[in-house]
Amino acid sequence: MSSTGSAASYKGYWITWGIMLAITAIMLAADSLPWSKFAVVGLLLAAMLVKISLIGGEFMHLRWEKPLLVWAVAGCILFFSAFLFILIAFDGIRIAGMLQP
Amino acid sequence: MPSVVEPAVSSAVPQSASPFGAGWQKSMMWVFIVTDALLFAGFLASYGFVRLASPQWPNRGEIFDLRLIALMTFVLISSSATMASAVAAAQRQDRKMAGRFLLLTLVGGLCFLAMQAYEWSHLIREGATLHSNPWGVPLFTSCFFLITGFHGSHVLTGLIVLASTTVRNARGRSTTYGVEVAGLYWHFVDLVWVFIFTFFYLL
Repeated sequence: MSSTGSAASYKGYWITWGIMLAITAIMLAADSLPWSKFAVVGLLLAAMLVKISLIGGEFMHLRWEKPLLVWAVAGCILFFSAFLFILIAFDGIRIAGMLQP
Repeated sequence: MPSVVEPAVSSAVPQSASPFGAGWQKSMMWVFIVTDALLFAGFLASYGFVRLASPQWPNRGEIFDLRLIALMTFVLISSSATMASAVAAAQRQDRKMAGRFLLLTLVGGLCFLAMQAYEWSHLIREGATLHSNPWGVPLFTSCFFLITGFHGSHVLTGLIVLASTTVRNARGRSTTYGVEVAGLYWHFVDLVWVFIFTFFYLL
């Protein structure tokens, strides 16, 4: 608990809330941008990562936790998720290629 | 001889042990969050596979009302901010303010669930089921109902936890720590929604 004692700031939380709403608005408007599909997907993924970092860092107080806890949580989720997605992506792309006329 | 064994076990695991510099309750909530996040990762990876492997996929703009989804996102983000404020109030020992923010979070969660129920009923009225839908790709609604339903069940669980925490806070029986652990779970629900919102409704 003491590790997050300095985190208590109403103002900080509501600033984070405002930033997250602004990012959400940008994500919703991304489809109407005159960009290539690749660029729009890149923007959406980048915006998603920023939102996740804000929730984890500010709201869940990971910013104020010990680095060991942060790495244990983030590292575990990132490693196993990437492992899962990469393995499945190879098969998905192969099947998608087989379905091409 | 449990009466003999129990003291031996409890002395082997000292109550003061604090892994990662956090208390046991919080550490165990983080362990739960990691495992649950991997479960959602599995669902989303399956969804990605199904989508990649499908020769066609319905146009989300024709199926979902993005204004409703935007409102749901707004409500959930706002409830996360009120939850964080409830934790801040609890840390300042301001029980009254913590109770108000907890109530606001509860209302936000209820609104989110109501909107999700509306979205589901709308799709079901259009003929969508777990196995079929009018858009020609049965797996689309299988993924949709499974992933959003699983998330919705987490929101419902969060509401039960929040209701319990609110009542305990009103009675003066909750601790700062209890509010913070409940908050961790609620923020996790918001975090998962960010993924669902991006992968299901925007990409």
